[in-house]
Amino acid sequence: MIRLINAEFLKLRTTQVWFWLLLAAVAISALTVIGPIASGDVHRGRDVANMFGNAGIAYIVLFVLGVLGVTTEFRYQTITPTVLLTPSRWAIVTAKMITYALVGVAYSIVCVFIQLAIAVPWLSAKNVDYSLSKDGVPHAIAGVFVVLVLFGIVGLGVGALVRNQIVAVSVGVIFLLVLEQIIVAIPGVKHVYPYLPGPAARSIADVTARDDSINGVHLLTAGGGVVVLLLWAFVPAIIGAAFSMNRDIT
Amino acid sequence: MSAPPMDGRIVVDQLTKVFGGKVRAVDRLSFAVEPGSVTGFLGPNGAGKTTTLRMVLGLVHPTSGRATIGGLPYRQLPMPGRVVGAALESSSFHPARTGRNHLRILATVAGLPVKRADEVLALVGLGDAGRRKVRGYSMGMRQRLGLAAALLGDPRVVVLDEPANGLDPDGIRWLRGLLRHLADEGRTVLISSHQLNEVQEVADRVVILNRGQLVQQGSIAELTAGTDSVVVRTPNPAAMHAALTGEPVQVDQPDPATFRIRGLAADHVGHLAFVGGVELHELRVDRFDLEDLFFALTAGEHQSGPPAGPPPAGFAPGGPA
Repeated sequence: MIRLINAEFLKLRTTQVWFWLLLAAVAISALTVIGPIASGDVHRGRDVANMFGNAGIAYIVLFVLGVLGVTTEFRYQTITPTVLLTPSRWAIVTAKMITYALVGVAYSIVCVFIQLAIAVPWLSAKNVDYSLSKDGVPHAIAGVFVVLVLFGIVGLGVGALVRNQIVAVSVGVIFLLVLEQIIVAIPGVKHVYPYLPGPAARSIADVTARDDSINGVHLLTAGGGVVVLLLWAFVPAIIGAAFSMNRDIT
Repeated sequence: MSAPPMDGRIVVDQLTKVFGGKVRAVDRLSFAVEPGSVTGFLGPNGAGKTTTLRMVLGLVHPTSGRATIGGLPYRQLPMPGRVVGAALESSSFHPARTGRNHLRILATVAGLPVKRADEVLALVGLGDAGRRKVRGYSMGMRQRLGLAAALLGDPRVVVLDEPANGLDPDGIRWLRGLLRHLADEGRTVLISSHQLNEVQEVADRVVILNRGQLVQQGSIAELTAGTDSVVVRTPNPAAMHAALTGEPVQVDQPDPATFRIRGLAADHVGHLAFVGGVELHELRVDRFDLEDLFFALTAGEHQSGPPAGPPPAGFAPGGPA
């Protein structure tokens, strides 16, 4: 397994995708602090926690990275040598899950570091009274880690299930950015909204998520969000490894 | 030799693949590939060669039947990367990755030292090109990279799908030498091709496939035994015809002045002509090659290219011109 994880890291390192997506994650997390502070919306500890938790929306980047982690192999047929050397689809998918979870940790560290590097000096210059150990700030930062770690696996699972790169990336991104917002607007089906991956991520990292409702729908607790996101991470990956990845590779 | 001690025999037993419930890509195919020899796996495009190789390698699930390597199905081989080396298509590389990194990844997966990447790059003649991105590789370079990947684990069994595609004449000659060398080391070498003459130069044995079914298997010597013919050109065909009368021969006349004679050695034909006082402008032995054999066996079902083999029946000695 260590060999396979090393190989997955080598696969990531030897193309440039990780760098551009990391740049995107950095940009997102920088904007999550620059926006609120520049517009003067940050006055107290809870605002700071809310701001830090918003780095969780970089989940879209980890999702794409995870999807590419599987579908690129099908697109360029590198899946053939991969499978020839590791006939067990479970081993391949497990190695990728562990690798992308670790990549999620690395991305989280960078995102949080960027946020702190911008926010801490700027907030003290503005004399905002807050503490990094109070008002849910540690919760928000831990939530970002959980969300980014799990979302790479969500992407892998979707990639393993769909196999087709264009379909998996476009359908996944449209679902996360657009369809979730449409679902919450439809009476009757809007009650599934808290169980969708994006809202589940919000309920984990956004400490203010339960303060108000969206169209009458309340998000889950942080714990509930973790459970739901774990299901989104593991169910597609397991189905993908058991069935989709096992289909003929022609 | 780092390959684990095992018999590298490939056995295909009643292998069948039906795609989508109706397309019979491979139909009850059985054959064996022996260690220490180069076996050519031949058939026109669409005959089912690639599907068969993919079933042998556990990439495609057979509808029925089985394929084993050293007695085990591929997917049950421990450390398959050190037992079997395969190159299936010349495009299974990430274009933005260097050839060397591609090989380093595979070496890592297979638990081999990453320096094997540089060794096999040198072996296939890519050397410095290994540090360039695959995007800039020619077809021939991709073939070599695929071959390098196949050889990473110093495998006992080498399976190559159309390895000569895209190679220049020098490359093909080099490939033949390499395959010969691998077989002489006792490895099992199975190469598919639709270019028969390329294979004839290097293969010891052939397995011929058409429309998913086995047409013939055996050594090239066995398959072409007794199929050489003697070709004679003469300005007086009537006298030649008379000289051959009574001999145990089969004669075709592609044109009035030319006789293709089977069943007699060239010196015997020359003697008959001399005794019969027949003037000869040509007397030569025509070796029956793999391509002729292939067309004869598939009975001209293969459309591309004119049949070079026996002319249509109906040409008998003295028959209508």
